[in-house]
Amino acid sequence: MSVLYFLPQGWLPLLESLFYALIFPGFVIILLLAFFIIWFERKAAARVQMRYGPLWVSKRTGGIIQLLADMIRFSFQEFIIPEGADFLPFVFLPGFLLAFAVLPTVFIPIGPDYTRIFPSAYTLLLAAAFTLVIPVYLVVTGWAADNKFSFIGALREAYLLISYEVPYILVIASMVLLYRTLDLVRVVDMQESSLPGILLNPVAAIVYLLVVIRSTGRVPYDIVEADSELIFGPYTEYSSLMFGFVMGVPYIELYSYSLLFSVLFLGGWAPMGGSGFVGGLILPGLLTFVKAVIVMCFLVFLRAVYPRYKLNKAMEAGWSWVLYLALVSLLVSAAVSRLI
Amino acid sequence: MSLPKEVPFTYEALSQIELKNGVIELQVGPAHAGSGHMRIVVWVEGDTVVKVDPDIGYVHRGVEKLSEDRIYIKAIPIVERPALVDTVNANLAYVIALEKLLGLEAPPRAQYIRVITAEISRIISHLYGIAIFGIFMGSSTVFMWALADREPFIDIMEELTGARITYSHIIPGGVRWDLPKDFADRLEIALQYLERRMKDYESIWIKNPVVEARTKGVGTLSATRAVELGVVGPNLRASGVGYDVRKDSPYAAYPDFDFEVPTLSEGDSYARLLIRVEEIKQSISIIRQALKKIPQGRVIYEDYYKRMSPLMKKIYDETGRVKFTSLVTSLSPPKGEAISRVEGGRGEVFYYLVSDGGKTPYRFRAVTPSFRNLPYFTHVMPGHKLADVPVIYGSIDYFPPEADR
Amino acid sequence: MISLQVDAVVQELSGLVGDKAKVVYDQKAGFLRVETECKNAADVAKKMKETGFDHCISVTAVDFPVEGRMSVVWHVSSYTNSKLMGMLAALTVNVERARPEVPSLVPVWESAVFHERETHEMFGVGFAGHPDLRQLLLPDEFKGKWPLRKDFKLSKKREDLFNKGGAEP
Repeated sequence: MSVLYFLPQGWLPLLESLFYALIFPGFVIILLLAFFIIWFERKAAARVQMRYGPLWVSKRTGGIIQLLADMIRFSFQEFIIPEGADFLPFVFLPGFLLAFAVLPTVFIPIGPDYTRIFPSAYTLLLAAAFTLVIPVYLVVTGWAADNKFSFIGALREAYLLISYEVPYILVIASMVLLYRTLDLVRVVDMQESSLPGILLNPVAAIVYLLVVIRSTGRVPYDIVEADSELIFGPYTEYSSLMFGFVMGVPYIELYSYSLLFSVLFLGGWAPMGGSGFVGGLILPGLLTFVKAVIVMCFLVFLRAVYPRYKLNKAMEAGWSWVLYLALVSLLVSAAVSRLI
Repeated sequence: MSLPKEVPFTYEALSQIELKNGVIELQVGPAHAGSGHMRIVVWVEGDTVVKVDPDIGYVHRGVEKLSEDRIYIKAIPIVERPALVDTVNANLAYVIALEKLLGLEAPPRAQYIRVITAEISRIISHLYGIAIFGIFMGSSTVFMWALADREPFIDIMEELTGARITYSHIIPGGVRWDLPKDFADRLEIALQYLERRMKDYESIWIKNPVVEARTKGVGTLSATRAVELGVVGPNLRASGVGYDVRKDSPYAAYPDFDFEVPTLSEGDSYARLLIRVEEIKQSISIIRQALKKIPQGRVIYEDYYKRMSPLMKKIYDETGRVKFTSLVTSLSPPKGEAISRVEGGRGEVFYYLVSDGGKTPYRFRAVTPSFRNLPYFTHVMPGHKLADVPVIYGSIDYFPPEADR
Repeated sequence: MISLQVDAVVQELSGLVGDKAKVVYDQKAGFLRVETECKNAADVAKKMKETGFDHCISVTAVDFPVEGRMSVVWHVSSYTNSKLMGMLAALTVNVERARPEVPSLVPVWESAVFHERETHEMFGVGFAGHPDLRQLLLPDEFKGKWPLRKDFKLSKKREDLFNKGGAEP
């Protein structure tokens, strides 16, 4: 089976695929989403903390283009490469990180007519597998910068990656057990006919959210990039546009995870249906997208409430009660799958 | 937590640790989010800290040397600036030492005003300590809240003295400004605001499970060890030693007030946090008692008042502002030595003043509480994880400019 | 009431130290003065610790260039002994200005460790037996300059401070 199998035949399908990949829900929307979610995080934290948050950049719209202003400023700075750093990984790995952070979204269907873009019956497996690749690049980034703090950050990431991988795979496995399929389009159909996944197996949803918070480095699990212990973890030595990159990549990872969450647990595009490119893909896609954004907003709000966990406590949790909950979710799935 | 047995704590042993393979030396240096204005050299093996060396002196201003070239009254701003968050107590300590040399005492109303401003300064200092503790643990919420909740008190002190932080309010013989008419009402509003906010802190920060997980059992110092290492302030009281200068060798008007000295026995970082919250509540109670019982009278020593010119007396009677006579600006205390001890927000402030009869101090020795809390770095941090270094640092309320003077 | 307690302490301490030190209560200054010789300092300190003074508040030196001496002072107090809690004792040792060397009292009072380091770098007083006598507050260029002595003048020019050893321009 050659790769040509996956290319659409004809001009219109090709344009539709390009629109899907580049505009919505592709690259442009993801970048705009990164703008929005970073602004939302800073504004929500500011409201809790009795201050304004981003305001001055565009006073009438509440500072929403703050990240654009930051990016413009970053692009005028000098990109400093430390002398002892490994040149190729240091310079190019952030690009890889960005690519692999965006990649899972290609495999997650956002409308019932997804097969016109990417025909596959194994989308759940592909999406989950690609989300697990990102932390490995992070470990290499931490080693490539010639800095002890980056090195310690990379080691922390390696420890935590291993600790939270097993519960994640168990949760995915339990959802596969529940829905009896690896095809995400069919998963949403099953949720449409019964209940959303979060009600069918709430334990799995909780564990999934915990793993997401850990993997994307949201407080209280921003142990890898701990501000007061390691200056910025593996990303310490980056300046200029790379710094903007590596600051935005966790949010894009967060979007991938949240999209998978909304399809797997929240019913995806559930009440809506349809066919054709616009009616079957774009309009239901907006609903899925909005659900994912709501989940993201909840997760980034946690920074205003909790301080940071300690490394050994987080690892202990990953191997003890998070793992137990993941096993329990397997049992819950086995029981519930008899009923639906 | 039990510390590994092979980590030594005597100085000779600490200086002889060889760096085996696998021990990394980290410079948590001046340009670091978790270090303040100092460098902490940390040796870690894996994730466990083996040795810590505090490299202080980055903001050393030479307070002791500077004061030898200036007349006595000019040492007050010099002494206030290092202890930047808790200025009234530093000011008060210096003036008490000077008044002992001069052999005079301030009138009762001035003593009460000194107590009120000292307790406001203590509240400000503890809120700042809570804020720094929060940001070192990664929570910017309590950082912003605590720094914002200092603002009502800073505003009140600004209306009283004209400055936000370094007031230079206390002078030998009394204080410089008398309380305005509505000072008591405004202060009461600020105290009620703070009491409401303390409930928020309780629910969001003190009962926060992440905070408890990170601070309980971390940085424990037993009572005997705390006495041997000579630590001061709320850190000492959290370790079980109930020593407070306001009770044990009182000064100003403290004998007239009824307050408790909270003491806990665990000696870990959580206990140090709880002690500071309790002390804020005690300070609120002391301020309320002082506002009720404050006597009337002058706020400047009688002898100094008699030597004021008629214009200065008129200004005092109308606005409550004390202008300096040439006597105050050219004080020449008789030959002798004096010592003062004052309980600052962070601990005991100790000043030793030697006079040879001239216009400038002969020797001025200042020991600030943060300097005396240094043994926490060398003796308490080893054995903990790397992530506990900012937690212990934040919990002892160490302020580098104050330690470096 | 305070003088009775003070007299009792003075009696007890004088009894313990014998003729190695002179114990007197300075009424005007408000603290207990214990003056001793350099060679007896460690023994007197141990006796003071037995009496109940269990921590050291400050170590400093006062420079008297005219008289050719320096006086090194350890201020100590007590956290645990209720009689001595409000009291302060100053252990004073007079040394020659040309060779100021005293025994380190860190084996007796561990809390003196950072203070003795500071006194050493500011005045040049040698503390024999101190485990770690490096620069504390001053940068390495100031080693040997002894800034707090009376003959070190604060100079307005930065180069003078570091190169000429603080000579007034």
